[in-house]
Amino acid sequence: MDFFDNLALGLSVAFTPNNLLWCFVGVTLGTFIGVLPGIGSLTAISLLLPVTFHLDATSAIVMLAGVFYGSTYGGSTAAILLNLPGTPSTAVTALDGYPMAREGRAGVALFMTTVASFVGGSIGILVMMFFSPMIVSAALQFGPAEYFAMMVLGLVAASTISSGSPVKGIAMVVLGVMLGVVGSDIETGTPRFTFGIPHLYDGISLVAIAMGLFGVSEVIISIKMIKRGHIEHKNITLRSMIPTRDDVRRSWMPMLRGSSIGSFFGALPGTGGVIASFMAYAVEKKVAKEPERFGKGAIEGIMAPETANNAADQTAFIPTLTLGIPGNVVMALMLGALMIHGIVPGPQLMVKNPDLFWGLIMSFWIGNLMLLVLNIPLIGVWIRVLMIPYHMLYPAVLMFICIGVYSINNSYVDVIAVMVFGGVGYVMRMLDFQPAPLLLGFVLGPLMEENLRRALLISRGDFMVFLERPISGTIVVLTAMLLLLALWGARPKRRGKTLLQDT
Amino acid sequence: MSDGTNTSPKRGGFQFKVRGPQDFYGGLALIVVAILAVIASSNLPGQQGFAFGPGTAPRIFAGMLAFVGAVVALTGLLVDGPKIERFAIKGPTYVVAAILLFAAMIRGISLGPIHIPALGLIISTYTAFIVSIMGSTEMRWVESLIAAACMTLFCVILFVYLLGLPFQLWPWY
Repeated sequence: MDFFDNLALGLSVAFTPNNLLWCFVGVTLGTFIGVLPGIGSLTAISLLLPVTFHLDATSAIVMLAGVFYGSTYGGSTAAILLNLPGTPSTAVTALDGYPMAREGRAGVALFMTTVASFVGGSIGILVMMFFSPMIVSAALQFGPAEYFAMMVLGLVAASTISSGSPVKGIAMVVLGVMLGVVGSDIETGTPRFTFGIPHLYDGISLVAIAMGLFGVSEVIISIKMIKRGHIEHKNITLRSMIPTRDDVRRSWMPMLRGSSIGSFFGALPGTGGVIASFMAYAVEKKVAKEPERFGKGAIEGIMAPETANNAADQTAFIPTLTLGIPGNVVMALMLGALMIHGIVPGPQLMVKNPDLFWGLIMSFWIGNLMLLVLNIPLIGVWIRVLMIPYHMLYPAVLMFICIGVYSINNSYVDVIAVMVFGGVGYVMRMLDFQPAPLLLGFVLGPLMEENLRRALLISRGDFMVFLERPISGTIVVLTAMLLLLALWGARPKRRGKTLLQDT
Repeated sequence: MSDGTNTSPKRGGFQFKVRGPQDFYGGLALIVVAILAVIASSNLPGQQGFAFGPGTAPRIFAGMLAFVGAVVALTGLLVDGPKIERFAIKGPTYVVAAILLFAAMIRGISLGPIHIPALGLIISTYTAFIVSIMGSTEMRWVESLIAAACMTLFCVILFVYLLGLPFQLWPWY
């Protein structure tokens, strides 16, 4: 099919009333969640997984995606007004955004970050539209060996780059893979680790794991930490949002640099909005003529990271949708949601479900436009959201979890399963093990096993197949290098210094 | 850092100190999971010629888990790390109580002498919300009762009307 045919198909899918509605629900919820410090898009998407059971696949993914990029728009509001990042990827925005608010320029900062988010998002979508078909046509040649190698690379990258200790990250991936084994064996149907419990024959439910690890344990942790920030400016008028000519002039180049950095890091496995925004800020500080202005309310310092994290949000979909390899845990949840609907991720997705693929991309445009409206004229609503008492929020999250998970099968066993994983998640956090790599391993584990078995069946049991095939060989070498680099970086040192602290 | 941490049994007269208790106990737990997995997969058929049996991958993964767990535990033994914070009691208790109450009330349950009829979505949500908010130190009754009503209403609108799910709303309906 021709490129423009695809666009037309995508538009026709995205503009159905149902998809428009769920796109709107997604971005509104995303902004809401993003504005509230403490609840991230990961928790929000986990909470919404049960809802997606009752929607068709396209609406489900459109909504979840909306929550994801919407939260990055909303995150900057809390960063600017409260000096608290609403989402991790807006942490750097607070560095210059909060000083701007204290100077009385909160309105300008809020307006310009929304513009930056829109520009970043748009460039990210364009990158996605043009590169995805190319990647898909290359990936259609991949065999099981390549897939297996790529999944290993994705898991190693995701578990070693952004989380604290690489060894513990890998341990969590392996534990996740192990949990993914539970259930009937794909090829022979033999039940594995089911202990005779019929509920386990289909495997552990992704919803139970996600909601337990990212919902319930979050509630337990946060119930004792209740902190309210002080809001600098309660009334932001539209007039106060108008930037000066100098602001606009200073913003062009940071937005361009930010979106290139963001698009790049978003598409790489293991990195994403957080790293992209840190990098973009560091680059701006390096190239600035007066670096001493940074940290004191420099507009460049909010524009670059805000374009970068939104561009990264969009390009993160590239590996997920074209290769079926999620680069981070949010993408793993999206992939899980697709698999719940029986859609097999990978290059076949674009070929077999072009309506879903292009419909989603077109919904990104619509969603970003909606976010522009939500975040500029309606900013007052979100400032009021910041004043919601915290201790009200967690019971609400908890109830949403209970009802949501119960609604899937009308079974209280699922509710209990969520509670168990909530307990596991709590203990993990107390021991400083990250739950995100576990979930990635859990989603990718069964796919990895399948591809490993196929690859070895084709090669008649020869493990060299992974090194002999050029693409998979390159990936294996890359993975090994990444692993060594991460372990070298994590070796015990006298002076406590980490990769990101240079910024 | 190492004060207050447990010591492992004496070996050859030399006393080990757990320097990073988080890593040490976490690693041990992973090793236990790996051992359980090996035991549980012992009845699964393994390799058949070139083909993996259902038991092959679980055993490979369990082996890897044991290895990584050992590395983590060893790190905890050799490298200083933060102490384990005290586990909170109050918050988790109320959270668990709220979840259990919800699970019991939504469908009704009979456990020995306890018999709870199916109370429906509205009463279950409202009660569980109040119970979970009691775990917070900043809880105030009036605003909690109102917030619980709002949340219940929101959930009914979303799940019953927007998503059209067949929930039982009241005990009698």
